[in-house]
Amino acid sequence: MTEPLQYRLPWQSTAVYPGAHPGRMVGAGQLFNRHEPLIASPDPRRIDLRASVLDPFGGYRVRVFLQQSTVNVYLIADLSASMGSGNKPGILQKLLLDLADAVAGYGDKLGFIGCSGRIEPRWRLNAGRQHQTVIQIAQQLQTHQFNGLATALSEAAAYLPERRSLVFLFTDCHFPITQLETLLRTLQTHDVVPLVPSDLQHYLRLPDWGMVTFHDLENRGTRTLLMRPALKQKIIAAHQQRQRELTHCFRAFGMEPLFIEEAYSSRQINQYFRQRAA
Amino acid sequence: MPQDRAGGVMNLAVETPWLLAGLLFALLPLFSSGMAVNPSPWLAILPPDPLSTFATWTLRLLAMLTMAALVLGLAGLYRSEQSIERIGHGAHIVLLLDRSSSMDNSFAGQTPDGKNESKSAAARRLLSEFVDQRKNDLFAVAAYSTAPLFVMPLTENKQAIQAAIAATSTPALAYTHVSKGLSMALSFFDQQPLTGSRIIVLVSDGAAAIDRDSEQKLRVWVKQKQVRLYWLFLRTANSPGIHSVAEDPRDDNAQAMPERYLHQFFSSLGVPYQAYEAESPDALQRAIADINHLENLPLHYLERIPKQDLSYQCYGLAMGLLALLLTVKFFEIRV
Repeated sequence: MTEPLQYRLPWQSTAVYPGAHPGRMVGAGQLFNRHEPLIASPDPRRIDLRASVLDPFGGYRVRVFLQQSTVNVYLIADLSASMGSGNKPGILQKLLLDLADAVAGYGDKLGFIGCSGRIEPRWRLNAGRQHQTVIQIAQQLQTHQFNGLATALSEAAAYLPERRSLVFLFTDCHFPITQLETLLRTLQTHDVVPLVPSDLQHYLRLPDWGMVTFHDLENRGTRTLLMRPALKQKIIAAHQQRQRELTHCFRAFGMEPLFIEEAYSSRQINQYFRQRAA
Repeated sequence: MPQDRAGGVMNLAVETPWLLAGLLFALLPLFSSGMAVNPSPWLAILPPDPLSTFATWTLRLLAMLTMAALVLGLAGLYRSEQSIERIGHGAHIVLLLDRSSSMDNSFAGQTPDGKNESKSAAARRLLSEFVDQRKNDLFAVAAYSTAPLFVMPLTENKQAIQAAIAATSTPALAYTHVSKGLSMALSFFDQQPLTGSRIIVLVSDGAAAIDRDSEQKLRVWVKQKQVRLYWLFLRTANSPGIHSVAEDPRDDNAQAMPERYLHQFFSSLGVPYQAYEAESPDALQRAIADINHLENLPLHYLERIPKQDLSYQCYGLAMGLLALLLTVKFFEIRV
C-alpha cells in the first residue's frame, strides 16, 4: 500500500490564495499574528476582551490571524541521456504523478520543467491545476528517448515565478560540481528539494571478473574495464565519494539532497519532509 | 662453425601489392573495439585504472596485428633472395679429377678385381670422406680428360658435391689433357671474392705435356687467382714417378716424362705447391689428411638464402592472435 505523498513547508508562503500551508497573509487562520484596532479589522467576533481592557486609549483590540496559503510546486527534471538509464524514467514518471495527486490534494499548483540540451516547450508546464495535462506529460515521458546533456538546467530558473516556490529538482547530477553550483545559485530564492537518483545498483551489478566495455550515454566516450573485485570496490567507493561531494555542495546552498536508490516510494519523500520540518 | 655476421637487410616483398590497401583495415580496431558496449550513465565517475587501459590498448594492438597479418598473408608476403655473410674456417677447394681411362685401373695397373679397388674408386671414396670432414669449406668439382668437364661450381652444398664426386664413377674417358682441366679449375675462382685460401686439388694418375701457349696462360692465371696447388699423383706401379730421372738423356723431355715436367712446371709457378705421390690407397689417404691439416684458414663467404614465402607464417600469426582474441571474447561480459 503506497502512502500518498505529503509535503510541508518550514517557511511561510506569500501567496494570496488560501491554501494548506503556513502563509504570510492575514486572514482566516489559526495562527495568531497580532492585535489590530477594530477599525482596521472590523470583525467583532475576534475582539480580544483582555487586550481591549488593557488598551490605554480604550479602543477595541481585535485578534488577527495568519491565513494558510497555497504554494506553487515545480518539478524541474533533468531529461539528459543519462536520465534514461536504469529505472530513472520510471522514478520520474511516478514522482510526477505522485506530486500531481499531492498538489491536487493540497489545492496547490504544479508546474513542470524538463531540461536537456535546451528547454523544449512540450516539457514545460506553467504552474496550474491542469491535472490531465500533467498525466499527459507523464505518459509522454514513458516513451521519450532521453538524449543530450543537462546544460539547460540552469536556464530553468527563468521559467519559475519570482515568488518563493517549492521546487523539486530531479537530476542525477552527472555534470561537474561547478555546473551544479551555478544551477543552485539560480535557484536560491526557492525552496529546493534535490532528488538525486543514484546509480549504486548499476555499479553493484558489475561483475567481479571479466571484460566490460562501457559507452557514455552523454559524451559518446568508451571505456573497457578489466573487472576484478578490487576495481569494483574502487568504483563503488568512487560513487560514494561522489555522493559525499554532492551532499557537501547542496548543503553549502542550504539544501539537503535526497538520494533515491533503486526503489522509489513516496514514503521516502514523506520521511524527508518530516525530518526537514523538525 | 659458420656464424651470422651482418644478417643483411630483411628484403620483404609481396606478390599482389594492391592487396596491401587492405592494411587500412588494420586501423579499424582504433575506432571500434569489437566488443559489446554497455550503456553507462557517467564514465567520468569511474576511477582511472591503468591495468584496464593497458589491456584495452594491448587488445587493440593485437587486433590491428591480426588484421595486418591477414592482409599480408593475402597479399603473399615473402622474403626475397638474400645473402648472409658467414665466416668459415676453410677454403675454396676445387677438386680436379682425372677421368682418363687409366684411372679405372688399380694401383697395380690392372683391371680391378674384387680385392683391389680402382684408382678412381679409391679417390672417390677418400675425397668424399675429405669433403665430409671439411664442413665449412666451399667445394667445386671439375674433371678432365681429353676436354675439361664442368661438374659443379663452388658451393657449400655438401650433398651436391658428394653427388658430383659420386658421378665420376661412370666409366672413364680417353686421354689426359691437364692444361685444359687446370684452366677450368682456375675459372671457378672467377667472380669469387678472395676471402680465404684457394686450393686446387689435382687428382690424376698421369700427366701430359703442356704446350707453351697454355703454359703462359696458366702461369698468369695461377698468379692472378692466388691459388695453392696440391697434386695427388696416383702412381701406377712401374710407371715413371714425379721425381724419376731419365736414364737416357734423350728421354728427358716433356713427351717422355710428362709427370716430371709437370711437377717442374708447378714448382716454377711461384705459388704454394705440394705434390704427393701415392702408390696405394693408404698413401692417398695420408696425402689427403696432410692437405686437410694444412688448410684451415678462416674464410669469409656469402651464403645465398632463397626466396621464402612468409604468407603461412602470416596466417599462423593471425590464427594465433584470433584464438587469443576469441578467448578474450569469452571473458567479455554484458551488464
